[in-house]
Amino acid sequence: MTLFLRRTLPLAITFLLGVAAAIQYYIPHPISEGALTQMSVWLRIMLGFAMVLGIASLCQVHYAKIRARIAGWGYSLIVFLSMLATVVVGLWAGGREEGTGFGWIYTYTLLALQGTMFSMLGFFVASAAFRAFRARSKEATILLVAAVLMMFGRVPLGEYLFPASGPVAGWLLNVLNLAARRGIIIGISLGGIATSIKIIFGIERSYLGGRE
Amino acid sequence: MRDLAAKLLRLDRRAIFVLIAVATLIPLLYPIGLPIRVSSEVKRVYDHIESLPAGSVFLLSLDFDPASKPELYPMAVALLTHAFKRDLRVVAMTLWVTGTGMAEKVVSGVASDYGKRRGLDYTFLGYSPGGSNVIINMGQDLNAAFPTDHYGERTADLEVLRGVRSLRQVNYMVSLAAGTPGVESWYVYGKEKYGFELGGGVTAVIAPGLYPFLDTGQINGLIGGLRGAAEYEILIGMKGKAVAGMDAQSATHFIIIGLILLCNLFYLLAPRTVVRSFDRAQDGPGSPQEVRR
Amino acid sequence: MATSVFIGSWIAAGLTLFMFSFLYKDNPFFRFGEHLYVGISMGYTIVRIHYDVMVKSLYSPVAQEGKWWLLIPALLGLLILTRFLPRVSWLSRIAFAVIVGFGSGVAIPRIISSNILQQVQGTLKPILSAGQHPFGLAQFNILLILVGVITVLVYFFFSIEHKGVIQIAARTGIYFLMVYFGAAFGYTVMARMSLVIGRFDDLILFSSRDYAYASLVLLVLVSLGLVLWERGERRARTPPH
Repeated sequence: MTLFLRRTLPLAITFLLGVAAAIQYYIPHPISEGALTQMSVWLRIMLGFAMVLGIASLCQVHYAKIRARIAGWGYSLIVFLSMLATVVVGLWAGGREEGTGFGWIYTYTLLALQGTMFSMLGFFVASAAFRAFRARSKEATILLVAAVLMMFGRVPLGEYLFPASGPVAGWLLNVLNLAARRGIIIGISLGGIATSIKIIFGIERSYLGGRE
Repeated sequence: MRDLAAKLLRLDRRAIFVLIAVATLIPLLYPIGLPIRVSSEVKRVYDHIESLPAGSVFLLSLDFDPASKPELYPMAVALLTHAFKRDLRVVAMTLWVTGTGMAEKVVSGVASDYGKRRGLDYTFLGYSPGGSNVIINMGQDLNAAFPTDHYGERTADLEVLRGVRSLRQVNYMVSLAAGTPGVESWYVYGKEKYGFELGGGVTAVIAPGLYPFLDTGQINGLIGGLRGAAEYEILIGMKGKAVAGMDAQSATHFIIIGLILLCNLFYLLAPRTVVRSFDRAQDGPGSPQEVRR
Repeated sequence: MATSVFIGSWIAAGLTLFMFSFLYKDNPFFRFGEHLYVGISMGYTIVRIHYDVMVKSLYSPVAQEGKWWLLIPALLGLLILTRFLPRVSWLSRIAFAVIVGFGSGVAIPRIISSNILQQVQGTLKPILSAGQHPFGLAQFNILLILVGVITVLVYFFFSIEHKGVIQIAARTGIYFLMVYFGAAFGYTVMARMSLVIGRFDDLILFSSRDYAYASLVLLVLVSLGLVLWERGERRARTPPH
């Protein structure tokens, strides 16, 4: 009975829902469409709880750091304090952002922090280009030439100095890049469909977690 | 000479950081204003919005977070400006939770500049989790997907959504995307079944990957990166942040091209080290070992 | 200018410079900013989920509109949270089975149609409708795309040995892939530089007189802070005589 509930039932649910969802696409009957609508409403609610899971996991990691007094635990305290402060201010504002403290926190802290964190990649890409972008082989040379042509032809200064660079970059994008990317898309999609079928038929079970 | 080349290859990366910082700062402080050529893929989005009659429903999904603000926020401003000038009914939303505040700000900000009224001329539906699932939900029943808008008003009662029961009644949709969920999700789970016209505005990182869909007509136009945003600003006669940033873009690109060329020059001059060739890999793709695996 | 905007601009400029200080070296200013970002984004997400999902899609429909059947997905959602209780964590499998099963099933026909059939059609259709001038640039491009798609797919076919004709096709596919990666790199550089431009734009705005030269003052303060921290680190590393 336990094995049925822990393993067979989830696999059966995956199979039934997977097959039903796939077949539904080909059945335009109102009952079929209504079932899809209802299922997508249900899933939206469930996914909200799944996001709570993600946040709770992060909290667990930082709480463990504080409890064990691991080096840098003070920073984990900052995580909790800032999270709590944001939640309290947000609930006080009723979730509204226009003209509230919650909106102020978003505009003057989250925007600045997240924006700057990712903008540092610009500096690292320049440093990496200098240290590692070498024409060691035929393939690397093609990559290098394509990258330089793209960087040259997609900025106003490049097009001003060599007007042909714009159309050349455009041709690279619309022909050679398109061909390779199309091959990759078809390949990835075939792989994705194979994985989905494996999940539906219970061959792929990693999403269940655990040992059984 | 070889020793100097080897030394320069080991240059402290902070010197490169300073170079990039200076190359960004100077053009921003002293812009030149070089001409920007408009590409056909951006023009197609502009032409489609130009062709829509007043009162058409324009759905704009701002699927990005603050990390992509410099590229996609100017696109949002330009598209909303164009849509409001054309008196389209604008319905905005987001599939990225941390982008909600930014999305609301840009929609209400541009709307108030053009005297547009919330609920009548535009609305912001807000955020909903699930990406592809939200798109399916909207395609089936928009009021079930968003029972109320971001401000708590019932969507079934909004004048701006009169006659719009699902994505099938949307005249044009543009997704401004920084990844997944984004443009690909909108055409796989949205346009494919519900048949609305779809355009894309994306960060430069994912732009090259969408050209196959542009070619097949699955998206009718593509605005890629800050350059695309600048082109759109030029089309609508606006000198916004994107146009202002293009000189700095030119400078930094040329610095990086210079660094790459110097790196290869120093590499040629520096004492050689032997590097294993990709050609002679014994267990690479298509090798007998790989086939047997 | 409103006081909240003025104070906010100083905070934003300061936090921006804290994060940029990582370019010099990993330091406490950056660590503080990094952990503050994690905490605030978690708090923001919690508030948004509460109002945009729970209140709008669950509490209001159930309490005000009597849609009691929405308690079923709420119960399934609660099962997800049993992941944290080792003795009953297996219950979460039921919820994940619903999410993953539905997601997989819904994806299959849509991906077949949009990513495979339409892409193959887009490759072959132009060849079949070549038109009156079969030797123009447009026709050359169409053939080049066909060759590129086929050779890239051949390259990724790892279950047959790449020798003879297959090897030639695979090597051609690699060259097409290198052009794609080169274009992707070029565009990635464009994207990353745009982000730098965006942040510098804000710092320049906050360095104006209206904001009491916030960026400049804070740049001096953060630099001073880094110097003092560096000195402290050196002293801590140097063994006592």
